[in-house]
Amino acid sequence: MNIVVNGNNRTVESPPLTPLLHVLREELDVLGPKAGCENGGCGACTVLIDGAPRRSCLTAVGSVPDAEVTTVEGLGAPESMSDVQQAFVHYCAAQCGFCTPGMIIAATAYLEGGGSADRTEISEALAGHVCRCTGYLKILDAVAAARDGNFDLSTTAESPHTTVLT
Amino acid sequence: MKAVGARLPRYDGVGHATGRTVYVDDVRVNRMLHTKALRSPHHHAAIKRLDTSRAEQMPGVAAIVTHTDVPLLTYGHLSALGIPADEPLLASEDVRYKGQPIAVVAATDTDAAQAAVDAIDIEFEELPALFDMRKSFDDDAPQIHHWGTIYPHFEGEMNVRQIRKGNVEQAFEQADRIISGVYRPAAIEQMPLETQVGLAVPEPDGRMTIYSCTQALYFSMGVVAAHLQLPLNKLKFVGGTVGGGFGGKVDTATETLCALLAQKSGRPVKWRWTREEEFLCSSTRAPWHMEIIDGVTSDGWILGRKMLTLHDAGGYARFSPYGVTKHSFHHTGAYTIPNLHFDGYVCFTNRTPTSAMRGYGVTSVSFAVETHMSRIATELGVDPYELRLKNANRIGDTSPNGIRYMDPSTVDVLHAIADATDAELAAPYSDATREMREGEWLPEHLVGQLSHSEDH
Repeated sequence: MNIVVNGNNRTVESPPLTPLLHVLREELDVLGPKAGCENGGCGACTVLIDGAPRRSCLTAVGSVPDAEVTTVEGLGAPESMSDVQQAFVHYCAAQCGFCTPGMIIAATAYLEGGGSADRTEISEALAGHVCRCTGYLKILDAVAAARDGNFDLSTTAESPHTTVLT
Repeated sequence: MKAVGARLPRYDGVGHATGRTVYVDDVRVNRMLHTKALRSPHHHAAIKRLDTSRAEQMPGVAAIVTHTDVPLLTYGHLSALGIPADEPLLASEDVRYKGQPIAVVAATDTDAAQAAVDAIDIEFEELPALFDMRKSFDDDAPQIHHWGTIYPHFEGEMNVRQIRKGNVEQAFEQADRIISGVYRPAAIEQMPLETQVGLAVPEPDGRMTIYSCTQALYFSMGVVAAHLQLPLNKLKFVGGTVGGGFGGKVDTATETLCALLAQKSGRPVKWRWTREEEFLCSSTRAPWHMEIIDGVTSDGWILGRKMLTLHDAGGYARFSPYGVTKHSFHHTGAYTIPNLHFDGYVCFTNRTPTSAMRGYGVTSVSFAVETHMSRIATELGVDPYELRLKNANRIGDTSPNGIRYMDPSTVDVLHAIADATDAELAAPYSDATREMREGEWLPEHLVGQLSHSEDH
């Protein structure tokens, strides 16, 4: 079967019940999605399938023939980062970085779906994603800033770390 | 000093945000093998038979390592601090916690490795298990550790970490009230998003390259070198990219066994734990049992403290004696109490061995002390800020282990908390400083402490 990964046509040899995460990482060497729990609990493996965020660890590759799969690598390279990626860098929203690929995919889908900068709504959109380092506040700052275009890597931003969840 | 006060990007931020950061599980080498472990299904059992001959014949299996393959089976990670070795890298005679590794298999894929693990012939004799550290002191407690149920090697030969300072009995006689409390924080899993993972690659020149998620690169390098009985220059460690640690990755969980499997098979060997393994048998923060008895005056001075601490080490000592020692140094929290009687024990149980996590040994006692301070305030009817500001560490006060504080921040932190919570402080508490005690801040029971503090 075939799938499209980050715009490239790829042929898949793995059996149809193989988790998409395993196909991406072990067969196709697409390493952005992470194996955090492989049980659908942590969100680190999240990818876009035809534009919708999905757990790749729980998605049998045979269930998504010819799908367009987008991983964090497909959103932007270091020299061409998307707004969400830039905001994550600018607001130090990635500490160890292991949850970040899933967070950025979910945030991208949320904003592309017309999501607001309201922190409660962002929290709900990211509720399926576990981060152990940041305490989430910087992530909320980053997503809200990406929504408003409120960042500039060349400047010194005011510290956003006083955000209080309401 | 250009960086001070400036807003700088994280050096690894772009890699994280674009999926380009290379974690251990992302390293790709040719002919890599994958690992699964035979782990104890019992909390406590004797191993009666272990035979890997059938498993070795299974398809895809490249190497199996058991205790007989380890050059130095039992190595004390903190032997430099006087904590003797007690934990074998792989179980040989007995297992003391559920999930304890007994054998590891390297095979062409994880399914083949698991099939070989399932084919290992092993027989256990299940033994009574101990889960409550308070029962470690019972005469009929199951004997789960060859040292007994209490760690016996503080200062070489003591089974207790003690602090004695001043005269607690006299302080209790002078006290208006005796206020006691028991505090029991539970075990916590550090739960990094990246599970324990390692990759060992044998190099053509006889060296071994080890990709590690450790929080303590050179420490782990020393551990691997010791178990393999290799000089350090035979090992090259690649690390620094850690998918979360929080103390749990101070342990050298995978690297040593990957290296042994790589030696035996001559091929690169990776071992990534499942989330289930991480929860089952990676070390946790310890459960603690803390009893505090304070002698206090009715206006809120703490004259003396007796404290008993039990620390649950699980099946082996690991770093626990070090944790309890740190704990003992902090058992008055951010406050000064001149008369102390502290006993701390490291108890062995059949729970998962415990280890570092964020403020190792100290978070437990901080929780207990602050809760106890609030309890004292409630029982005396004293304002909780005033109670804390009275007893707050100040310049010239001494810690439980006799260290003279040069610049303690307790008063300033309390003022900041009061500000943040809109708590109104009355004079003199609003004007308290960290400066040396005098006048109303120097009650009778602390006078001796100041004049004798140099003696400690």
